[in-house]
Amino acid sequence: MSYCVNCGVELDASAQKCPLCNTPVWNPGELEKQVSGKDAMPPFPREKSQVETANRKDFGLLMSMVVLATAATCGILNALVFRGTLWSLSVIGACAVLWVILIPVMIYTKQSIYVSLLYDGIVVVLYLYILTFQVGSREWFFGLGLPITALVTFITEVFTVCVCRLPRSFLTVSLYLFTGAGLLCLGLEMLIDWYLMGEIALSWSAVVLTVCAILDIALITMLSRRRLRNEVRRRLHF
Amino acid sequence: MLGNAVSYVGELNMENTGNKQNKENKYKRRKAQRRDWYQLDLSAIVYPTLQRRDFSSVYRLSVLLKEEVRPDVLQQALDMTLPRFPTYKAAIRKGLFWRYLEPNDRPGPFVQEDVKNPCQPMYFKANNRYLVRVYYFRNRIALEAHHSLGDGTGGMCVLMTLTATYLRLLGHEGIENGGFVLDINEAPDEEELEDAYMRYANARVCPPRLEEKAYRVRGTAEPFYTLNIIDGIMSVSEVMAAAKRYGATITEYLNAVLLYALMTKQEEEHRARQRPVKIAMPVNLRRFFPSITLRNFITMIFPGIDPRLGDYTFEEIVQQVHNYMRYYINEKLLRGDITTNAATQRNPFIRVVPLFIKDFVVRLFYTKVQDRNSSAGLTNMGALKVPEGMKACIDRFDIYMGQPFSRRTNCAIISFEDVLTINFASSIIEADVERYFFRRLVKDGIHVKIESNRD
Repeated sequence: MSYCVNCGVELDASAQKCPLCNTPVWNPGELEKQVSGKDAMPPFPREKSQVETANRKDFGLLMSMVVLATAATCGILNALVFRGTLWSLSVIGACAVLWVILIPVMIYTKQSIYVSLLYDGIVVVLYLYILTFQVGSREWFFGLGLPITALVTFITEVFTVCVCRLPRSFLTVSLYLFTGAGLLCLGLEMLIDWYLMGEIALSWSAVVLTVCAILDIALITMLSRRRLRNEVRRRLHF
Repeated sequence: MLGNAVSYVGELNMENTGNKQNKENKYKRRKAQRRDWYQLDLSAIVYPTLQRRDFSSVYRLSVLLKEEVRPDVLQQALDMTLPRFPTYKAAIRKGLFWRYLEPNDRPGPFVQEDVKNPCQPMYFKANNRYLVRVYYFRNRIALEAHHSLGDGTGGMCVLMTLTATYLRLLGHEGIENGGFVLDINEAPDEEELEDAYMRYANARVCPPRLEEKAYRVRGTAEPFYTLNIIDGIMSVSEVMAAAKRYGATITEYLNAVLLYALMTKQEEEHRARQRPVKIAMPVNLRRFFPSITLRNFITMIFPGIDPRLGDYTFEEIVQQVHNYMRYYINEKLLRGDITTNAATQRNPFIRVVPLFIKDFVVRLFYTKVQDRNSSAGLTNMGALKVPEGMKACIDRFDIYMGQPFSRRTNCAIISFEDVLTINFASSIIEADVERYFFRRLVKDGIHVKIESNRD
């Protein structure tokens, strides 16, 4: 029987130190037992356990089979019954997009968000490329579809990195969001102008960019001045 | 507190022997049998909305027997016992406007060997959708239940009935039903499954609540999956003698000790701005409003002190808690409190709001207001009474309020015969509050034995 010299409480025979103040237990009468740990039955188990997670794999498998069956059925129908155009390609492409989006949700939940976003971008590009077979022209794909998807994917990845890796608060997330929105509009108009007119003449995106820039400057000022930041938090707290 | 509830449950069981009432009860029970879903009670609505990846409102009750537990027999006892408690053999489901419980006939729950880190998050779709877990470790049987199923009284009924069934299977004779031990061969009473709040939320006014941010313990968060436990085991008579010296009951005295520990912790932190120190304490409403419900039937009170008004001696803290309890714990004010709580749920405009919006609003309210309203949680289950035949088999009981929603300490008290157990559960590394708490008890002449799962 040992007592903590600081707290005055009796300690369990297995205790190596007082759980309240971390003072080591040193009982001259039971030194041998303490060193060897003999007869010391801890009151709690030593093994930790993990939380049992919900098994979504079955649902993931079901969804995968449904998506696969839809794609296969449409392909067969297109090949054997409704043969006029390659309409099934758009359905098959849509199924592929849906499946890739479902991967991190149901099939492989540990997948990094950056990899998931990259896969999403790639599968959308592939889907758009498939559509070119239906439309009969690839010019729009290389001029608009591919660059816009690449731009959206890139900006989303950068936004996600900022939110996950940099300090996160209501103000900083707003800053990332406005910056991303401004750059996205700018990029979209530049790509559209270049594709349609062969030159870049900014109009509406300049307005959006200006508004976003003003908001960004206001947010940066708030973030850099603690007094101002606290004032805003106080007034806008919820 | 709970002792009264137990005796009340016992009295009700005895009263039900009349013929007329028997017929009525049979009708009620048949009705209870037919139900295939249950609305969540007023308190239970809140708990699922607070569910996070690393948090569930799970509490734990355990009984320490005098002999080693046999898992195979325990599983058999569990299989026999749980159907008696339809709201515990249930799964939680989402509706468009509210969540609800539905009977769960999947295999399980299965008894499992206890772990070092109890009260882990309980995901609704895991564990075959069961919201109860049963553990064994040497001579301990532990029950963990999600708070949306019921409160400590309901959980204790399940644990005690399970323990009684287990002991009977082992051949122990003379274990009568009564109190917390229910008859497993009897169909559940309709009243056991009712939302008792709605029966008593009938005050003519909804008293407003005074809410003020309380002091919050600053601590270093433990990694996910860690729950630090410190149990203090002591003699009821010693604690009662100490409480009497201050002219208080055991609950008031232990409340005051916890307030003193929190106040000392705040002083040690040398904060520029002090805050009131308050404790969130559930009150068992069965003491005031006759009900044998096994679901939630508690309300919170917040005894506290405000160090900004001046320095408190320990005697003054005890006096403050004593007066607070005398003023707030009465049928009228408690009825007003549950009426205020029920008003939100009864509002037709709120009822038609989709569940995801309700979830968002409730979570926001809880995080920004309710959780900041107290510095720690404390519950006292009181003196537990068990059937005479079981007494010889039981060493003591433990109760844990589970993982705190924010970084703080929760304290739960329970006593059996002359053994009083104070169980602290926290998810922070520092044990300052616990240290100040137990040192105060030692200073008041109480012999305390400490057990912990900390390394």
